[in-house]
Amino acid sequence: MLRLKGGRLYDPAHGVDGVVRDLYVDRGRLVADPGPDASLDGEIDLAGRVVMAGAIDLHTHIGGGKMNIARALLPEDHRRDPVPAGGGMHAGCGHAAPSTWTTGYRYAEMGYTACFEPAMLPTNARHTHLEMGDIPMVDKGAYAMLGSDDFFLRLLAAGGEQRLINDYVGWTLHASQAMAIKVVNPGGISAFKFNARSLDLDEPHPYYGVTPRKVIQVLSRAVHELGVAHPLHVHASNLGVPGNADTTLATMAAAEGLPIHLTHIQFHSYGTEGERKFSSEAERIADAINRMRNVSADVGQILFGQTVTASGDTMKQYANHRHAHPDKWVVADMECDAGCGVVPFRYRDKNFVNALQWAIGLELFLRVGDPWRIFLTTDHPNGAPFTSYPHLIRLLMDRDFRNAKLDEIHPDAAAHSQLRSLEREYSLYEIAVMTRAAPARSLGLADRGHLGEGAAADVVVYRDEADREAMFARPEYVFKDGELIVRDGRVVNVVNGALHAVKPEYDKGIEHALRGYFERYMTMSMEHVKVKDDEVCACGASRLIPHACGRRA
Amino acid sequence: MGTEPALCGPFLIHGRDGVFESCCPFCGLVCDDVRVRAEASGVRVERPDCARARGLFAVPATGQARIGGQPVEAIAALRAAAAILAQARRPLIGGLACDVAGQRAALDLAERVGGVVEHMNGAAQFRNWLAFQDGGWMTTTLSEVRNRADLIVFAGTDAARFPRFFERCVDADSQFGPLERSVVTLGAAPAGGRGVAHAVAVADLAALFADLRIRLAGGRAAPNGAGGVPADTLDALLAAMKAARYGVLVWNAAELDVPHADLTVQAMVELVRDLNRETRWAGLPLGGSDGDTSASQVCTWRTGYPLRVGFEPAGPRYEPLLFEAARLLAAGEADALLWISAFDPARTPPETACPRIVLGRPDMRLDAMGPRDVFIPVAVPGVHHAGILHRMDGVVSLPLQGPAPSALFSAAQALAAIQREMTHAAA
Repeated sequence: MLRLKGGRLYDPAHGVDGVVRDLYVDRGRLVADPGPDASLDGEIDLAGRVVMAGAIDLHTHIGGGKMNIARALLPEDHRRDPVPAGGGMHAGCGHAAPSTWTTGYRYAEMGYTACFEPAMLPTNARHTHLEMGDIPMVDKGAYAMLGSDDFFLRLLAAGGEQRLINDYVGWTLHASQAMAIKVVNPGGISAFKFNARSLDLDEPHPYYGVTPRKVIQVLSRAVHELGVAHPLHVHASNLGVPGNADTTLATMAAAEGLPIHLTHIQFHSYGTEGERKFSSEAERIADAINRMRNVSADVGQILFGQTVTASGDTMKQYANHRHAHPDKWVVADMECDAGCGVVPFRYRDKNFVNALQWAIGLELFLRVGDPWRIFLTTDHPNGAPFTSYPHLIRLLMDRDFRNAKLDEIHPDAAAHSQLRSLEREYSLYEIAVMTRAAPARSLGLADRGHLGEGAAADVVVYRDEADREAMFARPEYVFKDGELIVRDGRVVNVVNGALHAVKPEYDKGIEHALRGYFERYMTMSMEHVKVKDDEVCACGASRLIPHACGRRA
Repeated sequence: MGTEPALCGPFLIHGRDGVFESCCPFCGLVCDDVRVRAEASGVRVERPDCARARGLFAVPATGQARIGGQPVEAIAALRAAAAILAQARRPLIGGLACDVAGQRAALDLAERVGGVVEHMNGAAQFRNWLAFQDGGWMTTTLSEVRNRADLIVFAGTDAARFPRFFERCVDADSQFGPLERSVVTLGAAPAGGRGVAHAVAVADLAALFADLRIRLAGGRAAPNGAGGVPADTLDALLAAMKAARYGVLVWNAAELDVPHADLTVQAMVELVRDLNRETRWAGLPLGGSDGDTSASQVCTWRTGYPLRVGFEPAGPRYEPLLFEAARLLAAGEADALLWISAFDPARTPPETACPRIVLGRPDMRLDAMGPRDVFIPVAVPGVHHAGILHRMDGVVSLPLQGPAPSALFSAAQALAAIQREMTHAAA
């Protein structure tokens, strides 16, 4: 048993805000104080240190086909950040589209112990699990993408009952070993295959006739009724389009009060005011989130520099290809399932639009009052690589620093934004909410994201430095399931992570229709779409952590 | 993870009375509707009628390790391989024809010995990768072709190296109702015996596609056509391409065997992109045989680069031109060759002056083994053991079954065993 002695704990799941308390670690778990007579194997004095649970990233593109396309596309980016082998770690590359190995090491070095890949195509699930299997250090999970797959759209167009939709969603979660369901540009990826270049929320799909609103309604209901903890994870229509804030608000309403998570909402908070016809609608979006208790969001903050955007939204990525930097890009239609678009991007602080995007993201963070419903993401790598999180945390916690950065951006963007007037500074407690407690709760991870008895001993210890960027970039200690894995911001012990997946109940009768569909129309059989439980470890995860779901209908 | 390969256990076995619904690893289609029967004499393909599958599923379950052509115990061969690699300063880890587990193990070994990794189909793969890394592309996958393609243009290929391409992707039901599919071949004979062929030499394809781009842009195209195809034929072809609702341009980089064929690929994918301004088009690069898609995918997620990577002290180094296997061997820049070829006994290692370690199918015949050359028979993924293999489109990877278990090492096990022997020898 190990005692972590005298650290200052930030454990929002238990309302603990900077209380000095000992933690006890035994066989990978946090346990109760064993009393004065217990024998300890070790003790670490954490006087003056900040202690939090391991951080959880609920939206980061770490693995799967589109990331491998992004990697293969960008040798020039990798060359600037080669990673040698050593200390039990594999060689690889870093920066915008890091190798799998480096992804795991660098997440752990920032105190992250779980990462969730938000865009797994079911037909690409086996590949996604192979990639994630080579991401060490952290636990992993993935969200299956639905909403532009032809089986679903056929079912919906034929007036398929909600019960059947639920069964198909349940089947998909099992088949792809997924943790949640994501919908990307609902119906729009499919519509692009029929040569549509845009699809508004209430616009009928050019072939199926169903609207994106209907897709959101039935999928959010299916996720809810199956009892999946994480709400439907929505990449809304009209990403990046000036004026899309109206679509975003209407998308929130489309859930009709059921839980809904809007992802990278920064890219969906744009107006059309001003002479450049591009303006911030962060206030209106934040007000809506504040008002609607069924809505959560992650920000998808952009930060300046080179990155690469990788998205299932082929329709919008195709439209954005003219911004590619360097000038090369990939768009692919995939297997009557979805698609992917990869467009390298360089966000510039002297570019009006990019600068305003930066300010809009920060405004959203600062205007949404409830840190339990807004999550810290850059939509890695779309807004910025995940390695910029410590910088982002400092922007949120340090108003002087933020205003100094505001002075550097395009002056018109700074003038258009109300960012300077926002005085809020995030507290350590609020950071612990949005990076630990809230994502764990949103995903239904009962024993993660907190420091209570029985929790997995994923524990991070920081020095309480005034420079929050330095503090969050280099934790003093990181423990994963009780093992010390990082010391002073460097990996000291390479471990493997588990795979989280939900296991809802559903009627397997849906397989009759699915088997026939795949046999008649697809080039792979239904049986081979399924990633079986015992494939998860062959793909590379240390184990499968199944999560039962409490069915609600 | 790590150097111990994840052994493919019983999880993928769907056999009943010796009959298995299998995935076929012997070309880049990785057809997953193959029925095989495991018999005492070996594995027999019951359906479909694919000569390539029939021939390659038939493989003995045992093999003989050799050094310099002489039979040896397997352990001696492993030790000899370890000794060669321990002495080598820049070994080439080539071939790479195996399943994902084997490719993971090959990368582990390459990292340890400071090797360069390159697939046996590297020459073809890099015609695509050079174009891809220079400009990107728009592509599609097999089920999309089957369901959506109303015009398929074959450029420099008839797809015959993928025996069931037409059966699986063209002559099959579309869920969007009956498709009026047209097929056009830019080559000697109509692909699949369908549609028309316009005779064009492979070396002229780049000029032809550049000309089509000019025509599409309304520029001044050559009045006499391009690549021997008359101007009015090109105009008609372009009109058909513009009228397609979902067009697919198919090429096979392996058959674009001309200098600078990456520029041919680029000319094609740029036309595809231009056509997308008005309608939908996508490219379909055929390939993926001998596990080459898996090899690229695994290397990309592990290093960032799609093969032709050398493991150096500062990290992986990517040299898409310099690390071509044939060049490294001819220039004497590699001082040992490890050749993995677990699918096709005809894919033997290249002749070279440096010592060779061959992890080959048990029925592979090596006629001229040098005195230090080592042959280690390995099991065939999808026949002797289960595994995972990517299809040509890279999106779909499929579970291979092992209908005829064998005592042979898989490639992954043999590579891990070589690493263990290196560790023992070093200790």
